[in-house]
Amino acid sequence: MEERRNLRYLTDQSLGGDQMNILTARNLKKHFGGVKAVDGCSIDIESGTIVGLIGPNGAGKTTMFNLISGFERGSGEITFKGQRTDNLSPFKIARCGMVRTFQIPRALTKMSVLENLMLAPTMQRGERIWNVCLRRKKVLEQEQTIKEKSMGILEFFEIDDLRDEYAGALSGGQKKLLEMARAIAIDPSLMLLDEPFSGVNPTLSRKISGHIDELREGGMTFLIIEHDIPAVTKISDRIVVMNEGRVMTEGKPEEIKRRKDVLDVYLGGEG
Amino acid sequence: MTELLGAILPYITTILLFASIYAVFALGLNLEWGFTGLINFGHVAFFAIGAYTTVLLNISGCPLIISVIAGVALAGFFGFLLGIPTLRLREDYLAIVTIGFSEVVRSILLNEEWLTRGPFGVHGFDRPFQDAVPYQHYNTFLLILFVAILAIVYFALERLIQSPWGRVLKSIREDETVPYALGKNVFSYKLQSLIIGSAIAGLAGTMLAFYITYINPCTFKPIETFYAWIIVILGGTASNKGTIVGAIILWAFFSGTKFIDRIVPVPFESHQMGAFRMIVIGLLLMLLMMYKPEGIFGRKEELALSD
Repeated sequence: MEERRNLRYLTDQSLGGDQMNILTARNLKKHFGGVKAVDGCSIDIESGTIVGLIGPNGAGKTTMFNLISGFERGSGEITFKGQRTDNLSPFKIARCGMVRTFQIPRALTKMSVLENLMLAPTMQRGERIWNVCLRRKKVLEQEQTIKEKSMGILEFFEIDDLRDEYAGALSGGQKKLLEMARAIAIDPSLMLLDEPFSGVNPTLSRKISGHIDELREGGMTFLIIEHDIPAVTKISDRIVVMNEGRVMTEGKPEEIKRRKDVLDVYLGGEG
Repeated sequence: MTELLGAILPYITTILLFASIYAVFALGLNLEWGFTGLINFGHVAFFAIGAYTTVLLNISGCPLIISVIAGVALAGFFGFLLGIPTLRLREDYLAIVTIGFSEVVRSILLNEEWLTRGPFGVHGFDRPFQDAVPYQHYNTFLLILFVAILAIVYFALERLIQSPWGRVLKSIREDETVPYALGKNVFSYKLQSLIIGSAIAGLAGTMLAFYITYINPCTFKPIETFYAWIIVILGGTASNKGTIVGAIILWAFFSGTKFIDRIVPVPFESHQMGAFRMIVIGLLLMLLMMYKPEGIFGRKEELALSD
């Protein structure tokens, strides 16, 4: 009950605690047997910024994402909008306004593109059985609003012509756009994007960058894992470099690009 | 002509009575498996709980309608109890646990004679409006009642499935990580699906008891669960309409082949025919999987979709 009250507080407030940082993670640790996937990482994400999280394979980036979004339990403190979230389930964290995407897009294949989007908004009236049975009119009214909003998001991502297609019939790039669109449909304050540019052609990559930039202009905050260094450095305000489960360094993209130790670790000294 | 009709009508009534009971039973499974992706191999347990609760309460003096409500509610409650420890399990483990649960329930029915009368079974309970409807028309009345119940269950499920609630269930079936990441309490929805599916199975159990007028633990063998699975797969998974048609086809087949030896010579004794029918059903299912894997009302295009 206490937690529920806290959740309501969180969703109703703008930023609590530190007004600058929407997310603060301190001393995160996650070990898998003897492997220290994340080993004492700390990260601050300023509200309204785009932060790139880079590092070689096995650096612990995805585990870090999983810890922040609640999909993995480890140790350390995570504060989102002034409230501790390290003890919350992923669905409760999502309700607070932090949403994530996955490295391999997870489209709900046998549902239409529009249904995929309409699923997203949290706390829909029609998601409760008694409302479906007893408050049908209100459920239908809200359903119409959600449909219109979802269509707007599909138009923003320029995939509105695919609204009635099965999500499983989309191309890899379209699935990436759908996943981003679906995440945005829950009105998040912070989006965690896991490799949004991987496996997409340069045109689509530019399009995704444009969308992220536009959403940031609207006040959304992003944490992006990405291996496409030119793409992520171009779009990010700040880059955090991870290696062997630790934060190796962080700074502005142009500084990071010039750091020899980063190039050595990340590019094997070939940069 | 009138004579022929007089002979055929009760036969058709029997087929439709069984079909309507098993359609309701399978609609519960379709909600769990077809729409939520829960593999429940113990569906018969709730069929038994519904039937036994209703008849035992009734023979203890409880009014019939209260007994029915209690039967349905208790089946749903056991769905809730089973769901709490098991719904976090992976699909295959859930299947094993549920089949185990159904056997535990059957063993209790068989051995707790003080409560269930054990292998002797239960009879002598009331049937709905049995005093008001003449005996010779009772099955026709029961058929009308059962079709009405089936229609109510069907339309209620359709309304739920078309709603945002149903959308969440379908998303869990597709990939439960997605609704989880989007703020849905996946466990709660799975539990709701299991409770409703179990309550519907309990209602079907009550219907069965009313029709056959005598139940014992052998009525609720695991094969009953697999009849529901056959019906759902035959009709097309995630199609309530298909489930109803599947139930009619299955019972038409069961009843249609019962007296086949009177029409064409069959090299089997009558007791071997039952096993032979199951072999034929198995073969038909294999052919269905090969040539129409989506079932009668399933959507073929969905089979080609990949992640």
